[in-house]
Amino acid sequence: MSQSLRPYLTAVRYSLQAALNLSNFSSQEVERHNRPEVEVDNTSAELLLQPMHIARNEHEQVLIEPSVNSVRMSIKVKQADEIEQILVHKFTSFLEQRAENFYVLRRVPVPGYSISFLITNKHTETMITEKLIEFIIDFMEEVDKEISEMKLFLNARARFAAEAYLEQFVY
Amino acid sequence: MSDIAAQFKLVKGSIYSHCFNQDRSLLAITYDTDCYVYKVSAAKQPQLVAVLPDHDKTVTAVDISVHGRIVTCSQDRNAIVWEPLSNGTYKPTLVLLRINRAATCVSWASSGYKFAVGSSARIIAVCYYEQENDWWVSKHIKKPIKSTINALSWHSNCVLLACGGTDGYARVFSGFIKGLDTKEQVAGSPWGEKFPFGSLVREWYQGAWIHDIKWRSSIDKVAFVTHDGSLNITDYTDDIKSVDNPEGLPFITLCWINDHEILAAGFSNHPVLYSEGSRGWEVSKILDSPVKSAGKLVASTGDDEEEGAFGMSALRKFKELDLKGKVSQQEEKSTHVNSITELAAYKESNNNVTQVSSVGLDGKLVIYKL
Amino acid sequence: MEDWRRIDIDAYDPESGRLTADDLKPPYSHTVSLQELQPTIQQLRSYTSSGDFAAAVELFTTDPPYNADEQAKSQYFSGILEVLTQVRQVDIANIVKRLDRKQQDALIKYLYKGMSIPEGQKHGGILLAWFEKLTQVAGVNPIVHYLSDRRTV
Repeated sequence: MSQSLRPYLTAVRYSLQAALNLSNFSSQEVERHNRPEVEVDNTSAELLLQPMHIARNEHEQVLIEPSVNSVRMSIKVKQADEIEQILVHKFTSFLEQRAENFYVLRRVPVPGYSISFLITNKHTETMITEKLIEFIIDFMEEVDKEISEMKLFLNARARFAAEAYLEQFVY
Repeated sequence: MSDIAAQFKLVKGSIYSHCFNQDRSLLAITYDTDCYVYKVSAAKQPQLVAVLPDHDKTVTAVDISVHGRIVTCSQDRNAIVWEPLSNGTYKPTLVLLRINRAATCVSWASSGYKFAVGSSARIIAVCYYEQENDWWVSKHIKKPIKSTINALSWHSNCVLLACGGTDGYARVFSGFIKGLDTKEQVAGSPWGEKFPFGSLVREWYQGAWIHDIKWRSSIDKVAFVTHDGSLNITDYTDDIKSVDNPEGLPFITLCWINDHEILAAGFSNHPVLYSEGSRGWEVSKILDSPVKSAGKLVASTGDDEEEGAFGMSALRKFKELDLKGKVSQQEEKSTHVNSITELAAYKESNNNVTQVSSVGLDGKLVIYKL
Repeated sequence: MEDWRRIDIDAYDPESGRLTADDLKPPYSHTVSLQELQPTIQQLRSYTSSGDFAAAVELFTTDPPYNADEQAKSQYFSGILEVLTQVRQVDIANIVKRLDRKQQDALIKYLYKGMSIPEGQKHGGILLAWFEKLTQVAGVNPIVHYLSDRRTV
């Protein structure tokens, strides 16, 4: 399975490099407003670019929706069983509640995905695009490792606690 | 690095647009909600001489006319013309644009008596000075523009106006103002016979957003760069020639060097020179591009003072091995660390541009040698 | 009508034309139906069974049927998916090297389309291998072209 990880991350990297070419674009609909065009209910279809799906299998996917001044990237993390589903949910909501410190994180994931990023032209002006892309790729690599680690610890703790409790019944 | 003639860090933020005056003694840049005017002297850091603060929202473009008047336009739907006074300050005059969305770009005609402003209201406003009322008034070009105008360029005959926007069309309109322009200016033009104000002279569909469009009046050609990474050149025979960016990322701005060469720059942080040869337009040179060299002896250039005389010092190599687990490739970065937003001809000699100035989102002004 | 504040006033203004997704696609003279695509689909199947994958890839990346209806497009795509999944990993690089710019753009559209539908996601690994080889040859250019090209495959 890990042999398709490299191509998966390379595909996401190249797609992000193509999508993260943002300009400061004032709203065409509302005067004196400057808002991320990918997030609004847009009547102007020319401002949105073609969305890109990158899928490693049915359970691990990335959706990148670019537009003229913002890019929304949603990641669906692999969740093999119920324990992992709970762990992913807890992990992502922990991060999402602190979304302000992350700058590029979106507080609510796009429906159907585990976590979403929203990168706007303000971010690409103040941060180096290459480093942003590195950050997201690292995040994708790390998330899987963290979830597996958490699951191992969870199981280890549960076994230890169960042993300690049940020992008192052994004669 | 020999492509750089000079580089200056001007502000801690993004510069969207800049302009030098006729004799290159003054430089105006946009910075957030203000326009900064610098005095430029050869090889020294430009000195701030004036701040023009009358806009409420981000200033999107600035241009200086042949008479020294500065026009700035911003996302607060206004444009202001600044008259230079004898004591070095500037007197602002509001321009009646009558648009209800942000203004995105502005360009003086070469005569210095009128300018055009492109906006998100899908309107181009051509503005001229009305003597009776002492203000600048505008006439609108609306049809058939369907989306924001990103870039404008006047032909040297001061009538033909090329524009490009997010609807994927590059168009040439007539900006003829009765009373200001005469028919002799367009006599014998290959683009048509009559040019009433606002008439669509030509239209080319490209598909992707047009970021910049520029006339080459001497040979009646128009070049524009689009979001799909291509540079397109066309003329009155509607024959569009298209070349791609070898590095893929789109260009934001372009500058004609001479009748057969164009310099384009954008999201890759360094300019690419194209030239027209017998086989059509091709990439001729990539300026200031970052070069990766893995730790071998590199002759030190002005930029990497920290590295010392050798490419990668032994201390740094082992430190990196310890911290990161691998030796990072020594990367020479390009001078601009973020996208280049505007290129402008800086020095010219017999119709050939020898130096080009550029500003970018990193707040730097860099002058490239060709 | 109680809800005066939520009327879309711009819809009543004849001059405020907004561009919809359909406006952006170039006008087609007629929609290609499934029958018209059948010969090409048969051709693809015959190339697959005979093992001539290079010719199959050339066929489907030249002149993709942008103006076909949805059903035709999805049937056509299943044929293409068969070709893509049966090519051996080692041959992919050679086939990709021989494509020109327009064919690379068409190929990348099919790859993205494949990864967006469940049948394609099952073969995610193979589609990603094609993607990797294509970006090794062409860099980020086909992706930048894909973003701005409104014709869907």
